[in-house]
Amino acid sequence: MLDKILCVDDDPITLMLCKKVVEKVEFAKEIITANNGVEAIEYFDKLFEERKSNDSIDYPRLVLLDLNMPVMDGWEFLETYLRKEYQTAFISTKFIVLSSSIDPYDINRSKTYPVIGFLSKPITKEMLENLKNQFS
Amino acid sequence: MKNNSNRITLLYVLILLFMAVIGHKLFIIYFPKSANESLLNYSYAKDLLYIVFSGLILKFILYQNEIRNKSVFEKLQLTNIKIKESNERYDIVAKATSDTIWDWRIEDDSLIWNKGIQGVFGYEKEDVGSTSKWWFDRIHPEDSLKMSVKLYSFLEQKTEKWQDEYRFQCADGSYKYVFDRGFLVKDASGKPIRMIGAIQDVTKQKEEEQRLRLLETVITQTKDAVMITDIDTSKSAIPNIIFVNSAFTDMTGYPAEEVIGKSPEMFFGKKSDILEIDKLKTAIQEYKECLIETISYKKNDEEFWVNFSMIPVTDKEGEHSHWISIQRDVTEEKEKEKEREQLIRELTQNNKDLKQFSYITSHNLRAPLSNLTGLLHLIEDITIEDIELKEIIAGFSKSTHLLNETINDLVKVIIIKDNPSIQKEKVLIKDVFENVFNQLSFLINVNKPIMKIDLEDVTILDINKSYLESIFLNLLTNAINYRDPNRQLRITIATKVENDNLIITFKDNGIGIDLEKNMDKIFGLYQRFHNYPESKGLGLYLVKSQVESMGGTISVDSAVGKGTTFAIAFKYN
Repeated sequence: MLDKILCVDDDPITLMLCKKVVEKVEFAKEIITANNGVEAIEYFDKLFEERKSNDSIDYPRLVLLDLNMPVMDGWEFLETYLRKEYQTAFISTKFIVLSSSIDPYDINRSKTYPVIGFLSKPITKEMLENLKNQFS
Repeated sequence: MKNNSNRITLLYVLILLFMAVIGHKLFIIYFPKSANESLLNYSYAKDLLYIVFSGLILKFILYQNEIRNKSVFEKLQLTNIKIKESNERYDIVAKATSDTIWDWRIEDDSLIWNKGIQGVFGYEKEDVGSTSKWWFDRIHPEDSLKMSVKLYSFLEQKTEKWQDEYRFQCADGSYKYVFDRGFLVKDASGKPIRMIGAIQDVTKQKEEEQRLRLLETVITQTKDAVMITDIDTSKSAIPNIIFVNSAFTDMTGYPAEEVIGKSPEMFFGKKSDILEIDKLKTAIQEYKECLIETISYKKNDEEFWVNFSMIPVTDKEGEHSHWISIQRDVTEEKEKEKEREQLIRELTQNNKDLKQFSYITSHNLRAPLSNLTGLLHLIEDITIEDIELKEIIAGFSKSTHLLNETINDLVKVIIIKDNPSIQKEKVLIKDVFENVFNQLSFLINVNKPIMKIDLEDVTILDINKSYLESIFLNLLTNAINYRDPNRQLRITIATKVENDNLIITFKDNGIGIDLEKNMDKIFGLYQRFHNYPESKGLGLYLVKSQVESMGGTISVDSAVGKGTTFAIAFKYN
């Protein structure tokens, strides 16, 4: 079981589903949510500051990222994350794109980022079971 | 004796001498007494003298006669030679001009023809008549009235020379165009007594004339503007006009007089395409033909689009002599073209917008749909005691799944329709089948169909793998879903190569389709014609779209209660 994961999605029902499934499978102890890319970046900014003084503060090991979000979508979030070089600051954090459309264009594009998987909604227990095996 | 006259004279003298001598002898015998010797001798000598003298006179007269005869004879001979020569000349002339000469004695109406009537018109000597009626009978009925009126009025007026054109009938019944010229001979009182004429066969010229006239009408009456220029480019880049037809005037408003001698450059103005005009000027320099389209100006300064061609013309010796230009007002066509392009642009934009719309819609439909699916998954883990609630949730679940599949299928259709050229790769058909069997392993295990697979091991198609998979999946699923419950399902899949095509056949012995009723619905979108709950009416539409997007064809053969066979054909070499 992971300690912390971050779900980034603008749809509250999706977030609720996500939480429920994660709890059912006992995938993670703590589930943080963000409604869009900006909130997610702000979360990481805060963590970054906190970890400057105390680097034992935990950070999410897995981020489930939706692509289609208002204000700042999934791609822009990844761009900003990489620009701020958070992939070195949060070295163990892995990204999985969770999208409602399986557009091959999106799949190809995700390969240019530190994205380890591309899953289609809705997230299921089986998917998380598989991921569990990957992480342990 | 050479000379006839000498002979006659000699004979005359001899006979007379003989008679004189006999006379004398007789006189002496019968009248010896009265014979005075000297008188007798004198009379004898006198007689002899008379005889010789008259002989000489005779000779003289005869001689004169002879000379006269000789000169007359020589004159006659000369005249004869001249006549012969003249005849010969006449014959040769007649042959050279191939004129048919006729000689008409008006009084006794006898008409004589020369050899031309046989040579030119094909008549046999026996068939040629001897009166003017024979001649008139053979004139073409349409011309005969006009011609005889003209001829008789000519005879009345007693003018010397006559000519006319008419059609004369040949021996085989066909008519030839002839040009006839006649000369009238009058007697002392001025009455016409004789007429001699020469007929010339002008059929070829007439035909040539008619042909030229026809060609001329092409230029004068065509609706296309025709313009002819010379080749002198010393004063202006486009040579001067020497002829324009009436269609040109209609098109541009310029009458011929106003443009002859001027260069066509005068028709171009500020909106004319300079590049096109330069193209024309270069072609003129290179003696090459050219076709341009540009804006031209009418006399009233009105603009119009002209399709302007310029073609070099050479004379008989192959020397370049003129330019011919054919021009057409294409303003209307240009307008239509613009409209069409506008329409195409609008349609393309519309199409793009619609596609965008459908993508967005599908995406926005998917998002809440995925939530529904996720929520339903969670419900599955919760035990529900209430039977009614269970039923309701089951209904919910089914409908949601159907909705999901429908949207997925619609998206697939959009993707196929959107991609005219899809990725192709070399695919081993056997592998695709194995994949499909694996995916359907559950269905296959439940229904246990007897499958006969007749694939050649090395059949490789240049095709899109996922489409092929989808096609096979669909067809196989259909075969299983629409099996006949009364008998064991038998599926036969075979491939064969026929005429450059690879044909894959899917045969089942299921419930079959009533093709008479449903032929046009079978591949249609959302067309169902039975009540089997598993179908949405989309599967075969998808299959057809996928087959056709890869350049193949699909056909179906079926009988109710017997089974169905699908045949898919792809190009194979």
